[in-house]
Order: sequence, then structure tokens, then C-alpha cells
Amino acid sequence: MPHDSARTEIMGKLQRVCQNAQPENIYAQLNSLGEAPAPILPSSQLCEIFLINVLKNQGTVACARDRSEAVKAVADHLHSRFRTRKLVTGNDPRLAAMPWRDGAVLPRFGAAEQGDNASLSYARIGIAETGSIVTYTGKSNPAANNFLVEDHIVLVDTANLVATLDHAWTQINKDQDKAGRPRGINFISGPSSTADIEAQLVKGAHGPRNWHVILLGDVPENALKNAQNAIEALLNN
Amino acid sequence: MQREADTRVNERKNTSSVPGFNVALYVTCLVDLFRPSVAFDTIALLERVGCKVSVPTQQSCCGQPSYNSGDYESTIPLAQQVIKAFESADYVVVPSGSCAGMITHHYPKLLEGAWRERALTLAAKTFELTTFLAEIAQMQEPFEDGVQLPSVTYHDSCAGLRELGIRAQPRDLLKKLRNTEVKELSQTEVCCGFGGTFCAKMPELSGKMTSDKLDAALATEAQILAGGDMGCLMNIAGRAKRLGKTIEVRHVAELLAGNLSKPAIGEGKS
Amino acid sequence: MSSMPEEQSSAAFLGNVREALLETDKVQRRDMLGLFMPLLRDAAVNQFDQFNNLRKQVKDVKQHTLDNLHHYLSQFEKEALNNGNQVHFARDSSEMNSIVLGICQSHHTQRVVKGKSMVTEETRLLHHLQRADLSVVETDLGEYIIQQAKETPSHIVGPALHKSVDEIRELFLQKHDLGERELKGPPEMVAEARSVLREHFLNADVGIIGSNALIAENGYSMLVTNEGNGDLCANLPKVMIICTTLDRVVPRTSDAMAALRLLVRSATGQPISNYTSFYSGPRREGDVDGPTETHFVLLDNKRSDILASDYREMLQCIRCGACLNHCPIYIGVGGHAYGSVYMGPMGSILTPLLHSLEEAQALPDACTACGRCEEVCPSSIPLPDLLRDLRHEKSREKLTPRRWRLGIKTHAWLLARPRLYHKLSGLGIPVLAWLGRKKGSFKSLMLANGWTDQRDFPAPQGKTFMQQYDAQRKADDASR
Repeated sequence: MPHDSARTEIMGKLQRVCQNAQPENIYAQLNSLGEAPAPILPSSQLCEIFLINVLKNQGTVACARDRSEAVKAVADHLHSRFRTRKLVTGNDPRLAAMPWRDGAVLPRFGAAEQGDNASLSYARIGIAETGSIVTYTGKSNPAANNFLVEDHIVLVDTANLVATLDHAWTQINKDQDKAGRPRGINFISGPSSTADIEAQLVKGAHGPRNWHVILLGDVPENALKNAQNAIEALLNN
Repeated sequence: MQREADTRVNERKNTSSVPGFNVALYVTCLVDLFRPSVAFDTIALLERVGCKVSVPTQQSCCGQPSYNSGDYESTIPLAQQVIKAFESADYVVVPSGSCAGMITHHYPKLLEGAWRERALTLAAKTFELTTFLAEIAQMQEPFEDGVQLPSVTYHDSCAGLRELGIRAQPRDLLKKLRNTEVKELSQTEVCCGFGGTFCAKMPELSGKMTSDKLDAALATEAQILAGGDMGCLMNIAGRAKRLGKTIEVRHVAELLAGNLSKPAIGEGKS
Repeated sequence: MSSMPEEQSSAAFLGNVREALLETDKVQRRDMLGLFMPLLRDAAVNQFDQFNNLRKQVKDVKQHTLDNLHHYLSQFEKEALNNGNQVHFARDSSEMNSIVLGICQSHHTQRVVKGKSMVTEETRLLHHLQRADLSVVETDLGEYIIQQAKETPSHIVGPALHKSVDEIRELFLQKHDLGERELKGPPEMVAEARSVLREHFLNADVGIIGSNALIAENGYSMLVTNEGNGDLCANLPKVMIICTTLDRVVPRTSDAMAALRLLVRSATGQPISNYTSFYSGPRREGDVDGPTETHFVLLDNKRSDILASDYREMLQCIRCGACLNHCPIYIGVGGHAYGSVYMGPMGSILTPLLHSLEEAQALPDACTACGRCEEVCPSSIPLPDLLRDLRHEKSREKLTPRRWRLGIKTHAWLLARPRLYHKLSGLGIPVLAWLGRKKGSFKSLMLANGWTDQRDFPAPQGKTFMQQYDAQRKADDASR
């Protein structure tokens, strides 16, 4: 087969050029290079840092102390954007158990389709360092729910906030040890945007135009206000 | 980017004190041929801080033209010539960032074995002029010769800036010694378009780059454009003349020495 | 069958440069880019105080990876196969193109959606598939624009940045059959592209994307985009093909994260891209969407040769585009002048290596050695040194014009004989000084045409320094 001979030829060439040490030695060499320096977060206030970074990423935010408040926050967003309270959301047991009636929200469970205005994802992880949320593909959150809609609304539990990208992967690896590798892992850090036309930033090139993140749980009292003040200070500079 | 030469140079900076030291002047080919007054001003500055200045005669050029054109083979004898002529000095001072960078950063890349070792040893004691005056001689005392400098803007030549980290030193010296605050030009980090043979290989683009740099200098409304590298200064001065623009282009050594007696670069006696 | 832009060549570089400098509106746009992109990058880097330490560690890991590429590539292949992918190897561009076409044809594919991939530009995959009558749509907005305009990318990150808003409006009005409408500005144009391309995403049979990193320890491919188009290509069609080169392998996920922190800051000034995705393979149990069949096509195309050469550090490149944004030549003349998929400093090194030094010989000379590229390169590639080494090769292969080589050699020969040199310059320089004493400069000067084409040549002050110093010393000796 032509492709096999390509593989043989390429691997042969590489073998001639490379060191060809034993795997244990290669591994030891790699370890001896140490770890990449970790980013230094400005404080240990993960909620506040997460919120600031989501806002910096052109996302919008809300905080909710419990699931009822969360549903109301979702309803507020839907109503202000679309005047309806319909959305699509994955078959995630946590989502099935949400008190939807508290916000008069009308969820459809499944994958987003063309024409769906809004979707709701329950993120697996939130990352303070970068203002990102992490989802795995699967029936709990079909990939379409992340990408096909106009507005992507994301719930993140404060208990699932981690400091850095590396901490996120520690959690992901634990999940993989239990449930295997998901088809896709999406780190989302903003609405879709492009600057391909004369370097002018425009939202909503293909992916969602709006990204609304609701932080659910024990959010410290001033976290949201501090985050909003910090953003304003940046804009005024 | 940390290089072996940098480590040795930094060690040298921390252990020095200058008066009485033997300094060999590396004149540079452009100063030698086109503006000898810069070398005399350099000697005056060095003697002022107590150095004993000598000028080895077996010097001509550091080899940048052949090196940057890719002719390593022709450059090696020139590098060896510089090493032989200068390695016995306590310090080597160079009124050019690019030539100093050539000696300290590129000679060790070009040479091997024992020659490389000698190149590294030389690199450790070779300094561009403003770096030597600011960091080794630590000149601080203002001149009291009554010379008042007109307004000055400054061009940071690429090699000096990136290979040798020269930026604060000339500004600090102008401030301390001559009470002159540099009026910064915009986009100081962008190349002036000289680039050695580049200006001949891509003349239109080089011309545009030089014009952009000249315009930035003119926008500061400073009377003098100073810098540490004759190549860049001759480039900008020549472009100014061609376009009929007025700005006085001088080497920083002239300003520090307070010597404005000679016509500026590209200026005639009229 | 649509007509594609002609296959590019770097041989026309110098001519292209002259033309490029005459297009004033494009020059202005590039000058803006040259002003703002570095500011964005600097702001992002200054905010991340570990940047230089991170660069060092990433370089060490990458060099280790390249030293052991055979091991890591094998590991990646094993994991990727375990994850349910098919893995193909291609020795050169035509093999990659055949493999991809073969996969498409085996599925009776009619429609393909494509994410941004410089590797597929390198192999001209689009052209190959279209010649076989497949409908292929580039979905990255910049790539879509140049596909419609039948042009080639002018920048490896922002391929359509050379086009003005007006040009793009004209293009959309012409190409999209949507009736009378205004298309006031970028937001309206992006919205239109979004709806036009949405139909393609939903109905494509095959999605082709590139990869920003192949993670050896788990077989994941990392995809970095801001638009989300790559993810739509990777999740909606039934078949997904990831096309990339074999030097994209990194050992661990942590290495991919480290590279990610450098990549986006260097490319756009963001701390992270809007979408950073990791795809492992085809649908699993529990997936309700995604491709049922996934392929990796791993291209060599001279990478293994480069690995064995003195230019191997070029394989550390992560295609961030920072060197382009900071290069005065790139900003001055734009990407198209290079006549190659890769432009700017990295392109001036890669193009001769991927094609031939003879064809691309003008590129290594398009450099002032200002060093800004190396300063901003997140992968610590010694770009000015590699460019100089290529000029060295040019000289050795006698590609540099004879009079240049001879001139340089003669000059160096003379300089190596200081006494003779001082004697000769002592004769010539004072004459030149006397000739130029009134005006202070020359409008033209023998042997300096390149210089005097654009600027006057400052006259010497008078006698050379060595003459004067020598005379002074003789006088001092005499007076003792």
C-alpha cells in the first residue's frame, strides 16, 4: 500500500536523525526540564478573577446563589435578548433537575439545531486564569449547543472553579480516568469573534454572538462589583 | 537572550573601577573614514575619567559587511585580526553598537576552539561607548564647560538596542552630564532602513524606512538627532539632505564631549 | 471548476516589492498594522510576567521533542489509533492531497468545509479537491474572503488583512446572490458571511481542519480559533480530516498549554483564544453529534530534511505571525510580495528550505538584521542567524551576483591588511572630503549607486582618523 511505504520511509528517516534513546531515558530527560512556570494570579479570589476575565473576554456575567436564582438569571437574559424564554440544553441530570418553572423557562433537551436562539450548558470546569469554561461533548452537552446558537449561556458552579489551565487538566484527567476520553473537550473563553476585516473586531463570526456566564454558588459578596469596577477602570485608562 | 558572552560581560561590569586602566579604542571604519572627530571626542571622554587610551594600528573593520552578506570565510581573518590587536587591553571601547555587538556576540559564533575562547575573553572587556561611560566609568558629574546643547532626539540603532541593551545609557549620560532631556521620537524600536547592504539591495523600501524614521525625528522638533552608530546616522542624514529637510545629525560622543564645532553629518562648510 | 490563483513563486520578489510600495492605500493599512500589532503583543506580554521564563522552558521541551521526534510521533500515532482514528503519512504535498481526496471520494463526498490550515495552503489542497469537482468552502472568514477573491493569503494569521472594507463589500455584493442591500461595514459583512457559511456547515459531508498541537501522551489534537469555524467543521460533518505536519507533536498536555500561553499572546495579544478545543477521535457512546469517522494526515514535505539540517530550529515555529508583524520588510511590502505561503522572517527561511534557495534567493536578503523578529519570537528561533546562514549558502552556491561576492571579498582582503588599507584610504578619503567640502554630501558616488539612489552620501570630514592620529603620535614622539 502506498501509504504504508510513506510511513516506513518517514519513520526510517526520523529514526536516522533522532537520538533513539530508550523510552525511560527520554522520559527522564523530559522530566529533567522541569515544569513550565505557572501563571501568577493576582490573588486567591478565584470568583473575582474568573468574573473579571470573562468580562475581559467580551462575555457577560451574572451571579446566582442557588439553582432557583440561576434559572431566574437565565430567564432574564433570554427575555432581554429574545422576548421568549425558550432554549435548548443537553441531557445532563443536573439540568433536568433545574427548577425551570421558577423562571418560566422552556427548555428543550437535546442538540441545538439551526434556528435555535439560545442554548444552556452546565460547564464541567471554570478557569480563573483565562476566564474560560470547559465542556465535554456528549449527550450532557452536544457540541452543537456550544457553537450553533446566537446566545450561549453557561452555568458554572463555584465549586468547579480552578485557578489555571493546568489545574483544569488535572481535573479533566481525573474525569478521563473514570469515564474515558471524551470525543471533544472545548475550552470556551468568549463569544465568537473575528478581526479579519481591516483588523476591526466583530462578534459572532460563525459561533455564538453572545456568551453569558452565570456563576452559581457561594460567590463572595463583592466579587461581581469588584470585577465590574476593575473592567471600568481598564476601559477608562 | 542570554549568551555566554553576556555572562562574562556582566561579571566584568560588576568588578571594575576605571582610573588608570588601559583602554584600547576600536575606532570603527566609518568613524575612521568619515568622521574622525567622533574618535577624538571619544578619547577626550575616556581620558576625562582617567583612562589611558591607546589606538592599536592593526585595526580596520570588524567584518560586519562580509559577515552579514554571508561571507563567513572572509570575515574570520578580520575577527582574528581584531582579537590579536585588542586582547591585551584592560578594556576595549567602541563608539558603535553594531561593531561592539559584532565583537561581543558574533565573533564567538564565528570562531571555534581556542580562537573562540579568545573571542569570549575579548568580549568580556569590550564595551560600546555609552555603556562604558555609564556603567563602567559611572560618569555622573555634569560638565561645567558652559556648553549648552540644543534640543535633542535620539535614534536607537537596532544592534545596540537588541544585542547590547543600549537604551537608557545615552539618555542618562545626556541628562547627567549635559542636563539634556531627550525628546523621544515615535516608534524608536523600528529600524531606520540602513541594514548594511540592505539599503543597496532594496533601495525603495530602505528609502521609505529612512523617511519614516526621519519624519519621526522631525516631528519631535528637536534641533539635533543623535545616535551611537555612524551607519544609521549617515543614512538618515543623507536622506534628509536628499529630501531637503533640516535636522542636525550628530554622534552622541560629540554631544557628550560638548563638541559642536564641526559641521553635522552631511553638512558642508557653507 | 473555479480558477485558482496561479502557483506562486518567490523569484519575482524584488519586482513585487517595487509594485507593493506604490499601492499607497495598502501601504497605509500595513503601516497601521505595523503600529498596532506590536502594541497589542507588548501589552499581553507585559501582563504575563513569566513570559521569558516560559519561553525558555518551551524551547527546551521543543528541542527535546525534535531530538526524539521518532519516539513522540510513534507515541502519538499509537494513542490516536487507540482513540479510533485512522492515521495516514504523506511524504510530500501531492501525497497528502491524494490521501485527502481518496477519503472524500470513498464517501462520495460532494461538499467539504475547511478550517484554516497553512499546511493545506502549502500543499494547495483546495485546488486539488476542486479540480476533482468537489465543492470546498473555506470557513475562516479571512480565508473565505480570499477564496472568493481568488487570491492568496497575505498573512499567516489574518489572510485578508490586505483588503479594504470597500473591496470586501464589493466582493460580497458580487458573490452572494442576496439582492439589494447596503453592507455598511464589518459587522454587516460578518453577519452576512455567517449566514452564508452556516448553510455550508450544516450540509457538508467532510470537515477538514488543521492542528495547533498533536499531543503524544493522549492522541488529542489541539485546535485554536477565535471564530469557532474550525469547531463547526470538526463537529457537524460525518467525516473529519485533520491535516498537519509531523513536527506539530508535543509530548504532554502541559506542553500544549505552555505553548498556548505563548501562541495567542504573540499572535493577537489575547491571553487565550475564544475557542481552544481538543479532539480525540470519532463519536463515542453517548455522543449525539460529531464525525463518525476521523482521520489524521501527517505530512513530512521536507520537515525530516530540515530536522537533519542546521536549520532545524525553524521547526520550533508555532505560526503565531509575530515576526511578520514586527518585521519592517514585511510591513513595508506586504505578504504577497514574497510569492509564498509563508512570508516575513519565518517565510524567508522556510520558503528556500521547502522549495529551493535558487528560486527563493531574494528572500534571505530581505532583511536588515534589526533583530526584532527574534526578540518577539515565542519559540526562541534565532531568525536573523538562520537568515544569515542562508545568505552564507547563497554565497557558497554562487547565487549572489559575482560583482557583489567579488566586491565583498576584495574589501575584506584589503581590510585584513591594515597598513595597506590605511595608506589607500589616506589617499582617497581626503580627496573625497575636499570634493564634498562645500555641500557636505554627494548626490551620486561611484560604487555607491544603491545608496545614492535614495539618499545623499555624506562627505568625509577630511583626513582619516588613523592618518591624523598617526601624525599626532609622530609629532609627540618628535617633541620628546
